[in-house]
Amino acid sequence: MDWPRIKVPRKYSELSVEALLFISAIASILIMILIFYFLIHESLPAFSQLGIVSLVFGSKWHPSGDIYGLMPIIATSIIITILALFINILIGLPLAIYLAELAGSRSQAVLKPSIELLAGVPSIVYGFLGVIILVTYLQDSFDLLTGRSILAGSMLLGVMFIPRLTTICEDSLRAVPSEFKEGSLALGANHWQTLRNVTIPAASSGITAAILLNIGSIIGETMAVLLVVGNVARMASPLYDIFDQGASFTSIIAGEMGEVARGSMHYHVLFAVGFVLLIVVTIFSLIADYARIRIKRKFGGY
Amino acid sequence: MPGFASSENSEDTEVKTKPALWASLAISVFLFVTSLASLIIQPGMERLAPLWQASLFVSMLLIVASYSFSKAVSLKTVPFLALDTLLCSAILYLVYSGILHEGFVIRRPLGVGASFDYSFILPLLIVFASLLCIKDAINILYDYRAKGREILVFLAVRLSAVLSLLLLGGILFIIVYKGIGVISWDFLTAPHRRLGQAGGISTAILGSLWMVLGAMVISSPLGIGAAIYLNEYSKSQRLNRIITIAVSCLNGVPSVVFGLFGLAFLVTYLGVSLLSGSIILGLINIPTIILTCQEALKSVPNSLREGSLALGATKWQTIRKVVLPSAAPGILTGVIIGVAKASGETAPIMWTAVTFTATPVQMIYGVIPNVFQPVNNLDYHLLNLIYFLGAWDVEARAWGTALVLIALVLGTNMLAIVVRNHYRKKISW
Repeated sequence: MDWPRIKVPRKYSELSVEALLFISAIASILIMILIFYFLIHESLPAFSQLGIVSLVFGSKWHPSGDIYGLMPIIATSIIITILALFINILIGLPLAIYLAELAGSRSQAVLKPSIELLAGVPSIVYGFLGVIILVTYLQDSFDLLTGRSILAGSMLLGVMFIPRLTTICEDSLRAVPSEFKEGSLALGANHWQTLRNVTIPAASSGITAAILLNIGSIIGETMAVLLVVGNVARMASPLYDIFDQGASFTSIIAGEMGEVARGSMHYHVLFAVGFVLLIVVTIFSLIADYARIRIKRKFGGY
Repeated sequence: MPGFASSENSEDTEVKTKPALWASLAISVFLFVTSLASLIIQPGMERLAPLWQASLFVSMLLIVASYSFSKAVSLKTVPFLALDTLLCSAILYLVYSGILHEGFVIRRPLGVGASFDYSFILPLLIVFASLLCIKDAINILYDYRAKGREILVFLAVRLSAVLSLLLLGGILFIIVYKGIGVISWDFLTAPHRRLGQAGGISTAILGSLWMVLGAMVISSPLGIGAAIYLNEYSKSQRLNRIITIAVSCLNGVPSVVFGLFGLAFLVTYLGVSLLSGSIILGLINIPTIILTCQEALKSVPNSLREGSLALGATKWQTIRKVVLPSAAPGILTGVIIGVAKASGETAPIMWTAVTFTATPVQMIYGVIPNVFQPVNNLDYHLLNLIYFLGAWDVEARAWGTALVLIALVLGTNMLAIVVRNHYRKKISW
């Protein structure tokens, strides 16, 4: 906020308040640094003793035999993320378009808060529903050995983050100045042509930001995946078999961290998994942040 | 379907073919609804199969007939219709010739671990065919012009919006429906017995409440302070930028990584304790509170600040007496959202703060809990019940716990929305 430039008498109390506020402002930076420090510190033994390349690209994960390779986990995580994102966009984007362009003002007034509300449903509840309903359903209808599968994890994650995607996409569709649309309509384009050729391209950076944010959340979501994915760290055979069990970054950490001895190699390797996860997610949030800045430059407001 | 009421004024379509098209549209919609329902609720609805075959056949005939009588016949549109007709007839052929009979199953194709049987394939094919029919009928109705495409796309958007709302609503409904029977005064106020098979969840509720309270005590001052500094004090653009980046990175850090951080850092010094859990949940909440508070502070107009300064108030006096009261509803909303977020987290506290205990939270002097003890927590309680599902009869109690948890989180969120809407109406600058 631009404060007027007048000479205000400064007292010690004023200065101390400012110092306190400054400390709380840089707290986030400190926390971020602390998180990185502790994750690196705890995962360093794993990287140095096993070697970065053989740890990250190793294709076997046998904690009991002290064999650690992250490739099965990375592959499964990528498959889950892509599949979940696909389901997420397929359902979430039409809902956003409906809310922003088609819904009447009364149904908007009801639907928008309720969708925001649904974004708060805790992940453990989704996990519970996944175990009780989704896993049994998949097992029965596709005759699987166990319903706990990559597909179950992806479906659950895809559904779980619909409200978030919808809310952000709707906001960015709404942020498109109405002059754009009016210009297109005045040229004789109909509502759908306007939407496809003007509104959605103009809102594309907001939609991209929403998708990137969602990728970060999907990769980082823990409890729901842990409960339905089976948590077996091996390559799906064949690789495209989404009905096989698997383990993602988060599920392997959450599933195995409770049982390892503090300071053992397994413990350090799980921290290394967490470190890789942290880096991936941070990259995605940085790109999303960049996309949001671009929107601001484009339209002068989110 | 009110969307089609406007079609009456398009005089270009031949009047004779219209009823036929509407009929085929109605049949296709019936096909779509029933086959989708049967795809989702799998067993039982295959009895409709003969009806599906007949209506698909009729609908296809009507479309082809009305197409050949309509004005839309041209070399441009023929290939599309021919392709769709071919696909539909292929599906019909599969069913009639007995290739797709009851008991038909594709067993583990390409080595994947799943089999696709009759009761899955048939409705899937029918859904596909009915969508093709709807598409063709509307296109012919509007002579393959842009108007028809618009109606088609918006119909699809509306349909998927309705389906996704049904899905999300169904999730809430089933939790309330299954959980409401378990809720009783006893369930809410008694500790659990026999590993959750009997008794209630009082220790989990109390543990959750204390932990979230602790989290808010830690995160509110830090978050609000940071927002005030960023919005009112900071002069360096670069510092602002760095802090904003740090906040959005912190916002994206997965909760399980916070758990690892707590395990490596806090548990070393504080042990598995209520305090560790509160600190971790507090850290998770900081970005949410900063972002919402910044929005609230930005919405306070500058004229208020200038007026206060002109009266001789210092900067901090202005912020405390003028800016903060005006931004209070927004800040309150942020804090309430933080409460909801903190009460729904499981992964960060799994190894740092909780046990599946039935002993109530120990209090010092009966007011303040002993912060160095591990406590139970609603999320963790539910997680344990899920792990016990196969072994013991805990399903009913798990539904009850889920309902209590969801009521707590959604109730808090709703409070935030109500506060925001109430003051948004009231305050006008």
